[in-house]
Amino acid sequence: MAKHNTPMMDELEKGPWPSFVTDLKRQAEKSPQCWDILGQMELSFKDKITHWKHGGIVGVFGYGGGIVGRYSDVPAQFPGVAHFHTVRLNQPSSKFYNTTKLRQVCDLWEKYGSGMTNMHGSTGDLVLLGTRTEHLEPLFYDLTHDLNWDLGGSGSNLRTPSCCLGKARCEWACYDTQAACHGMTMHYQDEIHRPAFPYKFKFKFSGCPNDCVASIARSDLSVIGNWRDNIRIDQAAVKEYAAGNYVANGGAHGPKSTLDIQKDVIDLCPTGCMWLEGGELKIDNAECTRCMHCINMMPRALRPGVVQGATILCGAKAPILDGAQLATMIVPFIEMDPNNDFEQLVEFIESVWDWWMENGKNRERLGETMQRVGLPTFLKVINVDPIPQHVKEPRSNPYVFWAEEEVEGGFERDVKEFRARNAM
Amino acid sequence: MAVSKEELKKLILEKAINAPKPQLYVKDFYECDPDAKPREVKNAANELVKEGKMDFWSSGSTTMYAAKGRAKNEETR
Repeated sequence: MAKHNTPMMDELEKGPWPSFVTDLKRQAEKSPQCWDILGQMELSFKDKITHWKHGGIVGVFGYGGGIVGRYSDVPAQFPGVAHFHTVRLNQPSSKFYNTTKLRQVCDLWEKYGSGMTNMHGSTGDLVLLGTRTEHLEPLFYDLTHDLNWDLGGSGSNLRTPSCCLGKARCEWACYDTQAACHGMTMHYQDEIHRPAFPYKFKFKFSGCPNDCVASIARSDLSVIGNWRDNIRIDQAAVKEYAAGNYVANGGAHGPKSTLDIQKDVIDLCPTGCMWLEGGELKIDNAECTRCMHCINMMPRALRPGVVQGATILCGAKAPILDGAQLATMIVPFIEMDPNNDFEQLVEFIESVWDWWMENGKNRERLGETMQRVGLPTFLKVINVDPIPQHVKEPRSNPYVFWAEEEVEGGFERDVKEFRARNAM
Repeated sequence: MAVSKEELKKLILEKAINAPKPQLYVKDFYECDPDAKPREVKNAANELVKEGKMDFWSSGSTTMYAAKGRAKNEETR
């Protein structure tokens, strides 16, 4: 494959930042088809239109996901990218790789594909970019037999679940995110590998409300670690922070940053539920919305409570064209017990799926179906009782409306009698 | 009363062969047996793919089903 004249692509190598064009040129020395990627991109820049044809019937036997077909619409000009299929791999929980495994997957991909990868971009998986149809089955055989590795989800499947570092590295994790992520991955193998739904469906598992995997913004079903009792306070450590002896925010703002507890913590509490009393920090825990700011700022003094589990939220999506939608809190607290295979979570997931599979329109994400039918209907069909926490501002926006049969005495009333007491 | 699994597969395949559109969403097969649960329909359609009678067609973000040979195949276009 010949090198192409690519003046516009070459512009992207200028400047102080890393350039994917430079990476492509380096990889092209080993995988000449990468010259054709550059050539086709240059043509796309010139024509102001993509030259990729997306989608197809490619895949590996027994699977209905994990491979995304892609073809060039100018194959005669760029034969190296005539087929350029994408392969999604199911990453390990928390993305804990070892270098041996990474080298093996890179070697495998240089054998069967372009050698180009995309590590955890917007899709989330480890993505192998660019191979031909005839290489898919041999690649899959080696991947599963030699590397003991599997494909991830694509299309209308359950997408590869992902999780934060969890208890492996984080003291704030309120449940074992890795166990939950791995457990759901194994439990729902059929849904990951074969289409099951009206559209894509994503789980993401965060161990605490800091939500390091941004599950609240990106997943149809977001499982965020939480506690139902009180924030644990070490008053001696609070005094050390007040005296400037402990560095603020675990040193994230520099090794010498100290804390003004009133200004930096109490005044920034979104619900105003904290105060100092005789040098002691007090918290009205019933008003806490789990923003994590105080815990983040004073990690040696404050910790999540001891009755730990997770909050379930539904309906986020992060589409490119029509803007992001954050998830809605549905279940404030559930137990997350690996010893019972997370049975409460599984029960909830399946009640949501049963309803959405029947009621979701084609290419409609769960969050869009929820918006279409309204939150009260959604809560009713999945058997969750409405609570004030489902409503952002319950006093000014009574989002949950009562049905007549739920109200004592119904909606019938004597208007004349009412007006006799309350004149217009 | 839902039909048997084999009967459901037959109805799905008939629809996939005779529908004016060559590629169908899984929901389009629900009407083959309105009494069957969506999961049963999905499982039956996926089994037909496994048996080589239907194909998955995927754009990458969504997946459709087609009777063998009816799906848009970029490799032969």
